[in-house]
Amino acid sequence: MTNAVTDAMALLWLPLAASVLLVGIHAYFGMQVIARGVIFVDLALAQLAALGATVAFMLGHATQSGATLAWSLGFTLFAAVLLAATRGLSARIPQEALIGVIYVVAAAASFLLVDKAPQGTEHIKQILTGNILTVGMSDILTIAPLYAFIGTMHWLAAPRLARAAGAWMRDFFFFGTFGVVVTSSVALAGVLLVFSFLIIPAAIGLLYADRPAKQLAIGWAAGVVASLAGLAASYAWDLPTGATMVCAFGAALAGAVTLRPLRLGVTATCRTVWRVTRVAFAVCLAASALWLALSPHADQPLLDSIESLTPDLRAGYMNANERAVYEDADAYAERYRLQIERLNTTEANSRWQGRALDDFEVRRISSFLQSYGEMRKGEEFVKREVRSRARERARWWLGATLLLLALLAYPEAVARIRRLTPARTRQAG
Amino acid sequence: MGRTEEITRIRAALSRRLALVLTAAAALALAGPVAAGAPLRVVATTTDLRSLVEAVGGDRIAATSIVPPGRDPEDYQPRPQDLQRLKDAALVIRVGVDYDLWLDRLLAQTGNAALARGGERYLDASRAITLLDVRGTAVGPGHPHGSGNPHYWLDPANAEIITGTLLEALLRLDGANAPYYERRRLAFLEELGSRQQAWSRALAPLQGAPMIAYHNNWAYFARRFRLNFAGYIEAKPGVPPSPAHLAGLLSSMRAQGVKVIVRQPNEPEKNTRFLAERAGARVVTLAASVGSVADANSYLSLFEHNVAVLARGHAGMP
Repeated sequence: MTNAVTDAMALLWLPLAASVLLVGIHAYFGMQVIARGVIFVDLALAQLAALGATVAFMLGHATQSGATLAWSLGFTLFAAVLLAATRGLSARIPQEALIGVIYVVAAAASFLLVDKAPQGTEHIKQILTGNILTVGMSDILTIAPLYAFIGTMHWLAAPRLARAAGAWMRDFFFFGTFGVVVTSSVALAGVLLVFSFLIIPAAIGLLYADRPAKQLAIGWAAGVVASLAGLAASYAWDLPTGATMVCAFGAALAGAVTLRPLRLGVTATCRTVWRVTRVAFAVCLAASALWLALSPHADQPLLDSIESLTPDLRAGYMNANERAVYEDADAYAERYRLQIERLNTTEANSRWQGRALDDFEVRRISSFLQSYGEMRKGEEFVKREVRSRARERARWWLGATLLLLALLAYPEAVARIRRLTPARTRQAG
Repeated sequence: MGRTEEITRIRAALSRRLALVLTAAAALALAGPVAAGAPLRVVATTTDLRSLVEAVGGDRIAATSIVPPGRDPEDYQPRPQDLQRLKDAALVIRVGVDYDLWLDRLLAQTGNAALARGGERYLDASRAITLLDVRGTAVGPGHPHGSGNPHYWLDPANAEIITGTLLEALLRLDGANAPYYERRRLAFLEELGSRQQAWSRALAPLQGAPMIAYHNNWAYFARRFRLNFAGYIEAKPGVPPSPAHLAGLLSSMRAQGVKVIVRQPNEPEKNTRFLAERAGARVVTLAASVGSVADANSYLSLFEHNVAVLARGHAGMP
């Protein structure tokens, strides 16, 4: 176990370092992207970079060669020119529409090109579906100086460009440098995660501060915390890293929105959060009570999840006979599962060790596996059936208990309903 | 003297019967999906089946495959010309086992009952194959196909069953060329048998040596050549591995001394390289189907390539 934890630490520190770097540059670009209202521009630029790499591949260049990189950059800069040049049209067509068009055409064109080349799909996949978990030291050593350089360029050049050059030049500078960043980051972390790095920290910064420097600082802090939480959750619950991190970023934004009134004072915020939580809890309980009374045989998400956490709860509404049948079916289902596992292991091991099983024996194992599978399904059916019958019998008092709990969670509901009722009666009269 | 007369009489009778049989065969052939003389059009879903069809059918058939080489048949998106190809087909042969599910919709669109499941011009090559990783309805680790692992052509011994199923269909549709098909099939199986012995010898040093694969494509190959695939990077296709899974894989790779990681050309190179660097293993790229690497352009060369690359990889040679 300790070894596994050490291994996990060894696996996760590079992704964390990469996340910090990616949050660093993307939160900055994200603020600009939100200000310009071009939210999905990163997808379009990444797709064009992938198209460039596909063209390079068709021309016979290796994946990580300089030529492929040049083709990718060329296509991204072409997109930057296109986006800067069409800025003038934004009075008539929102720029987001053009971004969407660039995205779909680039995606479709890559698809058509790849169709003519074997192993081509892998090419596009490698560019668009990076995996943050497999970031290496060499990747960090490539992106760190690149992002530092681009960040410094923006720091030094952006104010001068704003004063001296025209709008076209400013836009091209922005889209061009952003394209370079996105091309490298999407290959490392994948489109979903890069989009989260780009938009969510910037949005949190915008929620909490008015000055750009403060917004950026808050965005960076939120991004780093969300990355850390996502990586930890991905390890603790054995989940794919990129997807878990995206959800952690989403949760961070939801938390930031909920806690936003904090700016008005701690007491007011706590009061609001407490009230919202109680209302949500009460609504869930009341809806469950109603659903149980109406349809006790259907899925009962709330009861099912409470029961999966505390199986003893079933004892509360099942009688002794039902409990015995349920536990018996559960024991059999588990026994069949173990049998299935044992047979699978026997067959898989016989492929390389001991005596090889002949076709007849393999078929026999397969038919046993299928039978055990069916029998296990049967036991699961018995469990479901016993449970729904018990729930049907207990639905009124169980529903009433849930309603009571809902009322306890949010007693103000009674006063509200009372206030509404005479008004309705008066209207009716 | 009488003996000579008798032989002449028998010969005459035989030639009359032969003429009768030939006429009947020609009539059957004309009534059937192809005119006599024209090659039989056979459409296979994958390049592997196409290669086996060509091995048996020779120049009497014109075989095409729907999924281009190197593409994942499970992700294939049919095109308009596929429909035309299927409409003109005398025989369609598929992998089955939920591997080429898109074919059903295409076949339904042709509106031809003979091409539908169970029709006389429809062939499921998985018939009579002993499937591995059969999970029934229970969901377990490994391959998501409940009815079995579909990569059964990767066991050369299964080629005998596949070509047998095919031969039966060819005899039914093109009886006139029956001896030709039978002769070719036997010659192919003989060649395959002798090469299989050589492959087994070449892979003997790998027997039981633990290896890791990117995805569970190699069950049949492993069973035939007694190879030990001790783990998979992507346990569920399309779902990237979790850090805990990779950490577990890494520690078991170190504990068991895994030296080789197997991937296919269309599987991510980055994830495999990542693991290989940390565990001190080599990445070996094998072809799971004909045409996915340049060397493997036929069923036989597919195995030649895989066996050579794997043996070199195990021995630590580039």
